[in-house]
Amino acid sequence: MSTVLAGVGLTKKYGSTTALAGVDVEVGTRDSLAIMGPSGSGKSTLLHTLAGIIRPDGGQVLLRGERIDDLGENRLSALRRKRFGFVFQSGQLLPELPAEENVALPLMLEGLPRAQAVERARRWFAPLGLDGLERRRPGQLSGGQAQRVAIARALAVAPDVVFADEPTGALDQATGTEVVRLLTSVTREQGAALVMVTHDAEVAAHCDRILQVRDGRITNYSQFTAS
Amino acid sequence: MRSPVLPLTWHLAKSSGRRGLQNHLLAAAAAAVGSLVLLTLLAAYLGAGARADRTAWRTPAPDRHGTAIEALATTYVRDEPITVVSLAQLPGRRTTPAPPGLNTFPKQGEWYVSPALAKLLRALPSAQLAYRFPKSTPSGTIGTAGLASSDELVAVIGRAPTDPAVSKSADAQGFYDEGLTSRAVVSGFSGTRRSVFTVDDQSAVLLGVGLLVVPVIVLASAAGRLGAARREQRLAALRLAGATPRQILAMSGVEAAAVGAAGALTGALAYGALLPALAEVPYSIGTWYTGQLWVGLPWVVAVVVGVAGLIAVSAVSMLRQVASSPLGVARQSDPRRTRLVRLVLFLAVLVYIRVSTDGRTLKPGTLVALMLLFYGGFWMFGPWVVDRLGRIAGRFARRPATLLAARRLSDDPRGAWRTVSGLVLAGFVAGFFTVGHLGIVGLDHRGQVAVPTANAADARHAVGEARRLLRAAGVDATVGTSDDGILLGGMDGVVAHVSGGPDRLDTAVTSLQPLGAGRLPYAGAYAEAPDTSVTDRLAQLGTATLAVSFLIATASAGLTAAANVLDRRRTYGLLRLSGTPLKVLDRARVRETVLPLLVLAGGTTATGLYAAVQVNKAAGSTISTSGAVQLAVCVTLGALAMLAAIGASRPLLRAVTADPTRATD
Repeated sequence: MSTVLAGVGLTKKYGSTTALAGVDVEVGTRDSLAIMGPSGSGKSTLLHTLAGIIRPDGGQVLLRGERIDDLGENRLSALRRKRFGFVFQSGQLLPELPAEENVALPLMLEGLPRAQAVERARRWFAPLGLDGLERRRPGQLSGGQAQRVAIARALAVAPDVVFADEPTGALDQATGTEVVRLLTSVTREQGAALVMVTHDAEVAAHCDRILQVRDGRITNYSQFTAS
Repeated sequence: MRSPVLPLTWHLAKSSGRRGLQNHLLAAAAAAVGSLVLLTLLAAYLGAGARADRTAWRTPAPDRHGTAIEALATTYVRDEPITVVSLAQLPGRRTTPAPPGLNTFPKQGEWYVSPALAKLLRALPSAQLAYRFPKSTPSGTIGTAGLASSDELVAVIGRAPTDPAVSKSADAQGFYDEGLTSRAVVSGFSGTRRSVFTVDDQSAVLLGVGLLVVPVIVLASAAGRLGAARREQRLAALRLAGATPRQILAMSGVEAAAVGAAGALTGALAYGALLPALAEVPYSIGTWYTGQLWVGLPWVVAVVVGVAGLIAVSAVSMLRQVASSPLGVARQSDPRRTRLVRLVLFLAVLVYIRVSTDGRTLKPGTLVALMLLFYGGFWMFGPWVVDRLGRIAGRFARRPATLLAARRLSDDPRGAWRTVSGLVLAGFVAGFFTVGHLGIVGLDHRGQVAVPTANAADARHAVGEARRLLRAAGVDATVGTSDDGILLGGMDGVVAHVSGGPDRLDTAVTSLQPLGAGRLPYAGAYAEAPDTSVTDRLAQLGTATLAVSFLIATASAGLTAAANVLDRRRTYGLLRLSGTPLKVLDRARVRETVLPLLVLAGGTTATGLYAAVQVNKAAGSTISTSGAVQLAVCVTLGALAMLAAIGASRPLLRAVTADPTRATD
């Protein structure tokens, strides 16, 4: 497993509150990492820092060995668009676009002609159990279906890393399990790394490794041989 | 048990945070603009009526057993009318009451002038103006009770009953005299006939009100829909928690009405504060007395309540769906489609208007009603067009921004329509009024002065005298007894063709006064007065309506754009977080407005143009080419202003997406 993304000695403070206190973390190709911890522990800050959304006060973020935390906003934005994928709890899909166009949007943003973008987007629907739902709008999908569309969108650009922030937070237990199973397996199949923040230990158990974070520090680290 | 609606509404409003406050402030601002515009329109309408009524005393009701003779005449200086009221107490009759603006009935030889005329008398050489009156210095000034405007030029002259100026020959005799000249035996000044210069003012304002009231409603409606997404979510949650539909609607109504009332009250206060400034805006015969524009407390209350009610109704109508189907709204599952019946209704309205107007002269009230009907029809039609436009654009869109814009249009055509409706309807106004300048074609009285005489023999005799008087006044002129009969309007008289500018013409009018034998000499402005008083009003109305329409349309567009950003901040934030460039989101927002604007505003402007051309054709007049240029400038400026208004919310878009981590909260 080669390292795709690494955070080295990451520190971040909000006023007098320490969100990250020298965190070292790395994920590799086909690797999945769950970050757990209580509210305010710094787990979301860690995900946002690794994704180039928040700049750390100290330390470095390396993507395939290249430092990204010191890039300008435009280059970071382009990096997030091209090499990262994102899955959030909810609300990330544009309600007015049909599911296939939601998935095609990042491809179109990359300059792919619309017809090709939609064609490529459609390829994701069957593997994710969304066959026949291509023209449905997000509001016409169930929560689980909407999250699977979000997964398709995150993976459509063939990213190096997929970041998932509480991807099952708005779903019931069964649907959440199904979604996270799909998320981890499809991400792995695509050769991407997965970094996921979750409160749910059962969800985290689908990942290869679990980081426990408290007060901005890693307090526990678990590794599974298989998932 | 006490209803929980009010306490819960208050609690939710208080806890709505900064975003809720932003929405409330924007809604209140819209309500303030709406109430200010409505009160101003109402003030202009009522004020125009009150002002016109103040001119009625100059043409009082005849009374065979009256006590005095009153003769109304009109003379012009620098193409501005001077109303001359000659009064003569009849001997042996009881004393006639003082006319409005004077303390006593003027004695023979006394003359009173309005302050504006007094100023003009001082400014112009006597040969051009003062010599038209009995003495070089007026006896006093006319008070405001006798004047419709502080700019009015009025003289009240006390005469002997035998004076030619009050003789029967002073009465209207010619084609052009209607409304400008009259004579009657009177016993007081309780007339009801408004002067020719003010008689159409109120109708013209009514037309303007008809045109502007819809954009104001649009603005208020936009205000009521502010924060709709947030309110929908909040109230859908309440519905799911067990609140009854009635409670939900009541809460929304109360919240929106309170915000609307606060804004409308602010607008009313602004109206009160701006009254002196509004009074300085000239319309018709000039600026206003401040009191004429005060609509009275009952109207102020009615407008505040009306605007607040409108906003409440708009907010409640948005939430009818939440009350009936909470889950549907919570997940925004229903695309807001439009049906073909909208097109059918619009076509029916067009046919009805066509049939109603075919070959008929319309009263202003009917015209306003038809205009409102057209607006209503277009209001139905607009969202249908937006929906189809969105679907067509969506089919052919290649770029993400265009695709996003197109999908937004077909997802919420009514919302998109609301954004552009103000300018679309203003386009109709612009098309109609800027190009539809009616006027008399082919008449040119420039440089001519006419003096009516009792008969043709008098006219022939008067020619020599006229030459002598003009020579004495230093005016070069050729004098004859005819000018093809046009300027004399069928009367016998003398016509002088004067060389030189307005000062020479005014000097000629003044010097020829002794010839008139009760009739004042006049120039072209006199003959054209009845027409110009209408066309000038329409031109003023057109310009004012355009300006206010565009102002309201721009405010509506800016408000809706800001509201959309606030309502969609989470989606925008997440898109930016995923790397979507801000300019793509911004372009989508702009295209969402520009696409329907181009199609619909272009369509209504063309319709307005067509209507103007038809009206001109019916009146035998030519269309105004300068108006066409004005139209192009107005539409361009209006579109640019609207784009600027949308652009003004760009910093807001940047701000709400600046910290993407908040979008994931």
